[in-house]
Amino acid sequence: MNSVIFLTIVLLALSSYFFGRKKAILIQSNKRLTALPKFYGYYLAIWCGAPAFLLYALWSIFEPSIVRFFILSDYSSQGLLEGELNLFYEKVKSLSRNQYSGELTAELQRSAEKYLNFRDIAKWSKVVIVLSLLIASTGYAYTKISNNTKTREPVEIFLKGVFFLSSLAAILTTIGIIFSLLFQTIEFFQVIPLFDFVFGMHWYPAKAFVRDASEALDPSMYSDTFGAVPIFAGTFFIALIAMCVAIPIGLLSGIYMAEYASKRLRQYAKPVIEILAGIPTVVYGFFAALTVGPFLKDLGLSLGLEVSAESALAAGGVMGIMIIPFISSLSDDVITSVPQNLRDGSYAMGATKSETIKRVIIPAALPGIVGSILLGVSRAIGETMIVVMASGLAANLTLNPLESTSTITAQIVVILIGDQQFGDPKTQAAFALGLSLFIVTLVLNIVALSVVKKYREKYE
Amino acid sequence: MNKIEAKNVDVYYGAKQALFDINMDIEANKVTALIGPSGCGKSTFLRCLNRMNDVIDICKVSGVVKINDYDINQKDTDVVRLREKVGMIFQKPNPFPKTIYENISYGPEIHGVAQSKSEMDNIVEESLRKAALWEEVKDRIHEPGTGLSGGQQQRLCIARTISIKPEIILMDEPCSALDPIATAQIEELIDELRKEHTIIIVTHSMSQAARVSQNTGFFHLGKLIEVGSTDKIFKNPTQQQTQDYITGRFG
Ligand SMILES: Nc1ncnc2c1ncn2[C@@H]1O[C@H](COP(=O)(O)OP(=O)(O)OP(=O)(O)O)[C@@H](O)[C@H]1O
Ligand SMILES: [Mg+2]
Repeated sequence: MNSVIFLTIVLLALSSYFFGRKKAILIQSNKRLTALPKFYGYYLAIWCGAPAFLLYALWSIFEPSIVRFFILSDYSSQGLLEGELNLFYEKVKSLSRNQYSGELTAELQRSAEKYLNFRDIAKWSKVVIVLSLLIASTGYAYTKISNNTKTREPVEIFLKGVFFLSSLAAILTTIGIIFSLLFQTIEFFQVIPLFDFVFGMHWYPAKAFVRDASEALDPSMYSDTFGAVPIFAGTFFIALIAMCVAIPIGLLSGIYMAEYASKRLRQYAKPVIEILAGIPTVVYGFFAALTVGPFLKDLGLSLGLEVSAESALAAGGVMGIMIIPFISSLSDDVITSVPQNLRDGSYAMGATKSETIKRVIIPAALPGIVGSILLGVSRAIGETMIVVMASGLAANLTLNPLESTSTITAQIVVILIGDQQFGDPKTQAAFALGLSLFIVTLVLNIVALSVVKKYREKYE
Repeated sequence: MNKIEAKNVDVYYGAKQALFDINMDIEANKVTALIGPSGCGKSTFLRCLNRMNDVIDICKVSGVVKINDYDINQKDTDVVRLREKVGMIFQKPNPFPKTIYENISYGPEIHGVAQSKSEMDNIVEESLRKAALWEEVKDRIHEPGTGLSGGQQQRLCIARTISIKPEIILMDEPCSALDPIATAQIEELIDELRKEHTIIIVTHSMSQAARVSQNTGFFHLGKLIEVGSTDKIFKNPTQQQTQDYITGRFG
């Protein structure tokens, strides 16, 4: 039903575009218009679609709570608790769908009938009212169309409103996510002391298995459970390994692309490198887990080294490969945008190509290169799949790249798969980790962007 | 003897010919001005003299360019040595994004001229003095060269070029981005530099060519129309085209 109404509105708005335009064209034959005929079309389409759609949306949002209010108003005087009312209302709804299997009371039956009744009324009155609003507003606008109707301004205002609402939606969801992270994290820290989290050396979230609610809020349950040092350390360690792979290779290939590669090669190689950046990380993950991990283990065996099948080295190395295209392509861009007259100046002094690159171009492009590296680091820190698949899930505190370690992102996965409950510290720990991660990457991104911006100002 | 002798020089950008059979001799320790309407090939010719056209992929040069009687267009010419001898100043000042000091020390370092720090300090100071910039920047030589004014930046580029004591300095409209005062300073400088260097300057300003140069060459549509002493070119040209250009009838 809802989709039918929605489609009707869209179709009517579309057709009123043509009506509006047609009328304008007719007027045009003997009077000059203030705007192109298509603006008259847009104008009518907006008057047709926008008010009806708005009403339709508001109605859909408020209908359930209004219906609920009417159903429960019979019982509100009986002094029931909020929870009991909720339960009752849920029963009414499932009965009305014929999915109720509990004890039937006369009250329940009566309310369910009333509920169905109300829903019916609401549905049909919605159709009638929305459609009549649509007809009224379209008719009003249609009669108003004359040769000097102001159509351009309302269309512009409407479009501005659409753009504004879209960006508002983007911003509000971001803020909403941050706040939900924040609230859950605060609750977490009411049970687990901040100090234990930030400086604790043991991370065993599996230990925090609580049997009942009274235990759940007892801090002594969680000593030595949520110490995040091992996973912070693991995160930075794996990111470090990744950057040791990604920075040299990415940078050198970026320089090659920008300075040495012929136009033809560049034309083909650059898109290929950019495609690499689009490979889903889970693919890198099984490459790391099934190919690189076992290979390193065998290699270690033949050298007499003990290498775990899931090692920080495998995960970090493959993560580095994943990041190469970012660094390569971004640094290629910043190097290419170094002005040609600096190169000419250096060549004219008798400098060779490599001297020019090393002593003039890299210094000039440095801020941009640093920016691209920082963006790479923030990708490394936020990467999940590769670590989950290739570096194990046990949070060891180690600096041996041949052992397995875990990262913030991987631990969030560990916590949130399997049994979990909202409001229990184990689940909330995931939010605390998420917030830490968010802060770290946010800071990195801000620094990276400001460095890149400074670079831009210098040459423009 | 002539410092530079160009014989039958043709230059192509891809399929498009930019210079046609240029023959020109340039005298040592004189300033030679190259004039002509925009797009006639002045910069292209200038870039033939230190093989900067090598940098442009599609550019092909043929013919002979002799410097000190040695043909620089040979295959085995050492371009690094050549450009050490033939410096170049560009239209837009292009100091490196380094300090003033490092801008000057760049050339001596890559050519291994200075043996010690103090020797390098001397080279830097001497070059800045010769470029008439020392007094203005002596307290800030460790600050970025990009922070100077346009005229100062251009003099910094001149100081950078003379730091390796080139025999020849090529200047491609060195004053076109500068105000009259900065221009006057550079012109004075050019006259000073003539004692030790041979200078070839491209300019769009007739009066500048008349003021600073001893010889002048007039280019038109990729051809060298007329070359001779500046006096003669300006007062008594043999070609009608030169006459028209100088009196401002076209260009
Ligand atoms: N990099 C290049 N690629 C292709 N064609 C070029 C290139 N540089 C110059 N040309 C062409 O060669 C011809 C001569 O150019 P050149 O720059 O030497 O002229 P110019 O006399 O210096 O002009 P201006 O006074 O405007 O600087 C022009 O027709 C120009 O279009
Ligand atoms: Mg030019």
